[in-house]
Amino acid sequence: MSILANKDTRVVIQGGAAGVNAARRMAEFCYLIKRPLNVEAFVYPPDAGKTNEISYGSGLIAIPVYKTIAEATKNHPTINTSLVYIGADRAMKGTMEALDDSHIKVVSMITEGVPEKDAKLLGAHARKLGKVFNGPSSIGIISAGACRLGVIGGAFDNLVLSKLYREGSFGVITKSGGLSNEIIWICSQFADGITTAIGIGGDAYPGTDYVSYLEMFENDPQTKAVVIVGEMGGDLEERAAEWYGAKKRRVKLIGVVSGFCQESLPKGMKFGHAGAKEGMKGEGSARSKSDALKKAGAIVPATFGALGPAIKDTYQELLKSGQVKEVVEPATLPKLPKTVEEAMKADEVMVAPLIRTTISDDRGDEPCYDGYPASELINKGYEIPHVIGLLWDKRLISKQEAEIIKRIMMLSADHGPCVSGAYATILAACAGIGLSQAVAAGLIMIGPRFGGAVTDAGRWFKYAVDNKMSVDEFLGYMKKNVGPVPGIGHRVKSLRNPDKRVKELVGYVKSLNIKTPCLDFALQVEQVTAAKKDNLILNVDGTMAAVLVDLGFPVDSLNGFFILSRTIGLIGHWVDQKRQDSRLIRLFDYLVNYAAPKRREVPPLK
Amino acid sequence: MAKVLEGPGMGLMKKWGIHVPNYVVVTSADELAKLGQANDWMKASKLVAKAHEALGSRFKLGLVKVGLDLNSAVAATKEMIGRQVGSITVKQVIVSEMVAHKEEYYCAVKSTREGSEILVANCGGIEVESNWDRVKRLCLEVGQSPSPEALTKLSKDAGFTGALAKKMADFAGKMFTCFDNEDAQYLEVNPVVVRESDGEPVALDAVTLLDGDAKFRHPDWNFQFAAEFGRAYSKDEVEVMTVDSKIKGSVKFIEIPGGDTAMLPAGGGASVYYSDAVVARGGKLANYAEYSGDPPDWAVEVLTEKVCSLPGIKNIIVGGAIANFTDVKKTFGGIINGFRKAKGDGKMKGVKIWVRRGGPREKEGLDAMRALKDEGFDINVFDRNTPLTDIVDKALQKQ
Repeated sequence: MSILANKDTRVVIQGGAAGVNAARRMAEFCYLIKRPLNVEAFVYPPDAGKTNEISYGSGLIAIPVYKTIAEATKNHPTINTSLVYIGADRAMKGTMEALDDSHIKVVSMITEGVPEKDAKLLGAHARKLGKVFNGPSSIGIISAGACRLGVIGGAFDNLVLSKLYREGSFGVITKSGGLSNEIIWICSQFADGITTAIGIGGDAYPGTDYVSYLEMFENDPQTKAVVIVGEMGGDLEERAAEWYGAKKRRVKLIGVVSGFCQESLPKGMKFGHAGAKEGMKGEGSARSKSDALKKAGAIVPATFGALGPAIKDTYQELLKSGQVKEVVEPATLPKLPKTVEEAMKADEVMVAPLIRTTISDDRGDEPCYDGYPASELINKGYEIPHVIGLLWDKRLISKQEAEIIKRIMMLSADHGPCVSGAYATILAACAGIGLSQAVAAGLIMIGPRFGGAVTDAGRWFKYAVDNKMSVDEFLGYMKKNVGPVPGIGHRVKSLRNPDKRVKELVGYVKSLNIKTPCLDFALQVEQVTAAKKDNLILNVDGTMAAVLVDLGFPVDSLNGFFILSRTIGLIGHWVDQKRQDSRLIRLFDYLVNYAAPKRREVPPLK
Repeated sequence: MAKVLEGPGMGLMKKWGIHVPNYVVVTSADELAKLGQANDWMKASKLVAKAHEALGSRFKLGLVKVGLDLNSAVAATKEMIGRQVGSITVKQVIVSEMVAHKEEYYCAVKSTREGSEILVANCGGIEVESNWDRVKRLCLEVGQSPSPEALTKLSKDAGFTGALAKKMADFAGKMFTCFDNEDAQYLEVNPVVVRESDGEPVALDAVTLLDGDAKFRHPDWNFQFAAEFGRAYSKDEVEVMTVDSKIKGSVKFIEIPGGDTAMLPAGGGASVYYSDAVVARGGKLANYAEYSGDPPDWAVEVLTEKVCSLPGIKNIIVGGAIANFTDVKKTFGGIINGFRKAKGDGKMKGVKIWVRRGGPREKEGLDAMRALKDEGFDINVFDRNTPLTDIVDKALQKQ
């Protein structure tokens, strides 16, 4: 048996993230004692209509979130308990709502920093309705082997170590959350464990006090002794002593009180809990409380350290008198499934990776490109072309190579608004499309007819050079197997109207005195083709391709140089249109050749 | 509970219709002189000047001067401002009119478990302290207001008669209204005097304790709360309070000069048991501290730095019970960073560290603490199998 929380307890949790976390802890306990999750619903208006996913074992349970307590209890009429995790400024209203619902009999408030007046009003209201209002600032309530309300009991391992999977003979009532766990642990090590442990909260005027629960424990035959952990301030311990001394009680009472240090500390000093403060005239001191408990016949160890042995003595007496029997522990207990990360760390599982990367890693404090930390590259004078070399070709290129790449990019960054890519981006910008989509629209244009010939040009020039073809052999091969030579030909430029970008790039590369077999071959091809037709010149795509192949870049990466450079221009066009607040544009009819059939009658549908 | 100084305390009473003397709070003698030109009452009445700080025994310290005219009030203010009393520097002086009166009475409202209690006596000043049986009480349940009849009965029971009985009943009623509406935990007026000029009861001195947790619904609480133990908060204490106000969970820090055992325990409850254990073993506490509610590691790091900066410490007690949800590894990470910084600043020489803890990720946390040994820390680490306060016994035995 237990008090307050048992196997029939069904819970609604009021609140957001903290409440969800509590539900997860409660699910761990339910899993340990092999019972279904006792949380039925959440009430949290911002998330109403959604569900919270709570892990149970290795699975997930979806718990609905409602706007009001009434909705929650209407849909889940077995709810009889509410846990309040609402912020201090709204906690009063939410708690009243729970107390006023006829389904709910117990409300436990976890919220800290609730105004004293609100706590008193809630306590008085609950007493009037004959309900239990526990808290504020309560860590929760746990009945061994039956029910956990809140995070009391701690992590899964601690639940097992403290033997909370089955009931013992000791009741526990504490103000402090941390100490509740400590006492549960002590009861499990020095005796047979607990029946129910309750955190009443450390506020000055909690809704329910030691006496409320001592009375319940007295009526619970399984509970043979109750441990209370008090502290200076208020009169709750004195009232507990008064209750215990009033008549012969079935349960034994063991109590410790903290705050003796107050005698040698500055008066009026504030301790961790709101209620832990001696009165102005010395009432509520640790000594007066401890004396009152002793006088009432309770067992009062001199220090907290002596509490374990005192509990042990009490347990031995109970054993001797036959009131309790030695506990037989279950042979096996459920183990909480590990996460994949935890299992990998413990070398218990092997996972086949989904993807493999060979270029970068940002798991440390900064990204590394092919192993080199970004900041170190910056500090040692490396630039953007070097990062391209590392990420596209996994090598640190030379200063000279970097200069060539920089020039290629500068020459191809933009080519005015009329070309397919820029026009598409502008059209999108005028339609109010965002930056990334509008730039993507421009990039989509890059293909066989616009800017996308670099890779193909590089591939075939390389093919010719690798196979030591003559220009004639190459042109013959291309005509037979491929078609027009990629990288050769221009819509407007010709021998008489040369492309200045090509001249500039070729001139610079040739001035460096490096070996450029592809470029040399491409220029020879141009001599033959341009002689046949004026505009069959080596275009900027072909020039870039030949140079980049000569620098050793993989053929498949070559279009990337155009895509990367032109992105600079596309972004510029989008920003430009945005800055001008350009309006939606559409084609004029006179720019369209309407070649569709003339208007005609639709035949009847057959 | 949050203590409020006399000025803002009287301000709150005035707001709820309680007569208070005219008063001003000034930060310089010049300010008072200028106010004197602007306010007729300051020229017409005798004045009282008091240091407006959280100090006990101000009379003995010469920080209360009575029967002054404006010039001597300015002189008294000049003398008080900047005076150093312990850790407190007097920064403000409250100057109020003296109210001519014959009798002194007492009225207070205090918080009780059931609700509140109104206290009235027909004696006041120091007389009421020695005649506590003359204080009559009216108990009220939370949510309940006193009826005029009950207040009159209280007043008459306390020995007031005739017109004064009615006036004291009104006064007590207003005290209750102020208490109830301002989320007060204690209001005391001692003495209440009857002003000779119009026969009205006036609050001559106010003790006001408010519920700091209710600040969210009182936008007009634009004053600072005063320290409650007769001294100003130190720079490090204020720094930790600032951190505390910003975070989930809490960190607390109060210095106790002259001690040599520094406290860095977890939990509002356990921290007091640790402090008790130190005192019980004859140790001298250098501070009170606690962290709880799974605070962020950086907040615990700040707290640790302050604890390590306490002068003359020999032991640091990093105690704690078995946590429910405070992540031991994470919070210990903050403590370890704080220790390393302190060591880097040369603060950990001859300091022994004692650790005991349990809770989520306790093994990882305790292992990380143990590893500090290799960095040259004098550290002793214990797990949940060592009873809570045994590390204090071990620490103080070895001294």
